[in-house]
Formats: sequence, C-alpha cells, structure tokens
Amino acid sequence: MASVFSGAPPQGGPGYSFTQTPRAAPSGERQHGFYPYTDNGGSTLGISGADFTILAGDTRSTSGYNINTRYAPKLFKIGGEGPDNKGAQIVLSVVGFAADGDALKERLDTIVKMYKYQHGKNMTVSACAQRLSHILYNKRFFPYYVHAILGGLDEEGKGALYSYDPVGSYEREQCRAAGAAASLIMPFLDNQVNFKNQYMPGSGTGHNLQARQAQPLPQNDVEELVRDAFTSAVERHIEVGDGLQMMIITRDGIAETFTPLKKD
Amino acid sequence: MVGKDCVAIACDLRLGMQALTVSNNFPKIFSYGDVYLGLTGLATDVSTVSDLFRYKVNMYRLREERNISPQTMANLVSSSLYERRFGPYFVSPVIAGLNQTTGKPFICGFDSIGCIDFAKDFIVSGTASDQLFGTCEGLWEPDLVSA
Repeated sequence: MASVFSGAPPQGGPGYSFTQTPRAAPSGERQHGFYPYTDNGGSTLGISGADFTILAGDTRSTSGYNINTRYAPKLFKIGGEGPDNKGAQIVLSVVGFAADGDALKERLDTIVKMYKYQHGKNMTVSACAQRLSHILYNKRFFPYYVHAILGGLDEEGKGALYSYDPVGSYEREQCRAAGAAASLIMPFLDNQVNFKNQYMPGSGTGHNLQARQAQPLPQNDVEELVRDAFTSAVERHIEVGDGLQMMIITRDGIAETFTPLKKD
Repeated sequence: MVGKDCVAIACDLRLGMQALTVSNNFPKIFSYGDVYLGLTGLATDVSTVSDLFRYKVNMYRLREERNISPQTMANLVSSSLYERRFGPYFVSPVIAGLNQTTGKPFICGFDSIGCIDFAKDFIVSGTASDQLFGTCEGLWEPDLVSA
C-alpha cells in the first residue's frame, strides 16, 4: 500500500510551508534544507488515430494530501500566433512537477514560434519532438521533473504521438499514459487500443489461437476510451479527479473539451 | 471477481525475486472444497499458510461433517492472520467461492494481519495490483458471464 501514499512529502524532510520554521537542534546547531521538486500528481494520456491525435489530462493539482486547485491545465498548445496560440497544430502535455512543466512548455512554445519567424514555415511534429528531447537532455543533471507527451499530425496527415522520460529519451507510439495513475491506465489501453491479450473467438487452442489484430480506432471510440480510463482512475487514485481536459488535433485544428470528474 | 451467479479467481505462475525469475510453475491458488484461496507475497509463507489452512479446513470438515463456506473461511483466515499480529505472515490472501446454502457468489481480500476487505466487485493482490485495479475498474460491470 506504500505506493498509494507516494505523493506525500518525504517524512521528516523539509516542509514547504513558512509556518514550519526550522527548529534549533538540542546542540544549538541549525540544519537547513531545500528540496527543489514537488510532485503535483495528476495523470495524462495520449492516443493517436489514422487522421487525429487526442491528448487528455485531469485538472487537479495536489501537494501531498492537499488540493492546490481543481483547475490547473496540463495540456498546452505549442506554436501558433500570439499568446492564445491561434492556429497551433501541436499539443504538449506535462505531468509531474507543475512548475517544471510550465517552464518546459514556455521554452518549447518560444522555440516553435521563433522557428516560424526565422524559417517562414511551421515546424513539423517530428522536428518539434526531437527538439523537445534536446531541451530535456540539456538539463540531464538537474532535470525537468516531468513526463511529457507531444501530439500532432505528421507530414502525411496521420496522427503522431511522442512520449518522453524526464531526461529526453523519446519514442513515437500509438498510445501512452503518464503520471500518478499511469500504472492503472496503461494496461487498460494496451488491452483496448492495441488489443493485447485479446484473441479471435473460436480460432483454436494453444498455438492455433489467433491474436486480434490492432487497427486505428475511430475518433468517437477513442474519446469514449479516454473518458472511461479517467473515470476509472478517479475511483482508485486520490491524486486524480476534478476535471478532464481533452485536446483533439485534426487537420481542421485543435478542438478543446472539458468534462467534469468526481471531486472527492 | 464476481459475475452473474459465479466467481472467478486467477493467478500467474511466476516465482521471482524482483527482476529475476526463479520458476515458471508456481501456483498461488489453493482449493479447500468449495472455497478457493489465492496467496501472494513471500513464497515460503505462501506454502506455509496454504498448508496451515489445509490442516485447519480438514479439521473443520471432520468436526462439522460438511464443507467450509467462503464466509466462514474468511473469518478463519482473518483470525489466523491476526494471531500473528506482531510477526505476520507476509501474504495478501484473496478468497473466492460460492456459498453452497445460498448459492450466492462471495469474494474478499485481506492485508497481511487479517483485515478483511469485503468487495462486491473484485479483489486484486500482489506486485501488479495497481495494474489490475486499473483494468478491473475499467472493464468490470455487474452480472458478467463466462464467454
């Protein structure tokens, strides 16, 4: 059960509140500490289809057993025009330490915008994906404490999804869950998106048993899967809840939706 | 897991030490008449506890001249584990069975010192419990039947 409480601040470690002033040790010596990272909980999820990509994340921000806010977006449009990112075609989702996530989003957004000013054309998703990897690896020894997922459409108009570890190792995938409830959501996705452990009924036994072949899912099915994944995660994980933010990237642009989740 | 007038219990056959696989044929589910007991955790305690309950259930059957019900088994497991409150067996048991008198499905789980979790839907246990919680919560619905 220890894993359930992993979001709590380290026991006996430094507090984050100014009300907890360092107390003098019996010897009279003081010890000060500063821990630069916090886990803000939450979960994100991305699924790519034939001509679309969906990214989703819950909007709860936590610190230990407390809720900072019920609406802190984890999904950000990258590129496009101005502060509202009009006409953007790339979405970044970040989960982990929210301050690092914001800083990372800010850097990538600036780079993608500068790219358009300098080259007169939009950055491709594959180029943006590689650049994001470099940004993360540049801080190899003081990392951005986030799991990033980048979504968009590739040069052929197919759904593109890239996932990252905190130091920039990345991979293009069909689907990925990240964050606090990743361990709950990912096996559900393996089963429902890539049809893992599903077999053709009546195809035989033992080695004759035929695995069900994965195929790109329709947009509506994927939206439903995302909602099911999050309502399930909310039931079993205390750091996930409040609201579900989704961004659907198609050739027509980015559609954004918000669905309420349980607030308990 | 509970379905329509049925229960299901399943385990993998792996025995390992963290990443190292020691055996590919180590069953973790044991049958006690009408009741099934799943045990995850420390392998030596899995063997010890399963044998201990074989002895206890056999004694129950001789005394009562009937099979043990899942509910009675649950209380037997709970009290037997709590007896070792300050030196527990490192196991997280799961019980599944049909009550022979009422015909109703019954499942429950325990922590290592015998606190019972009476769930109406599903119980998970072991190293992949997070993953199992996610899939069960996503795929389970009332009155499932066997394919």
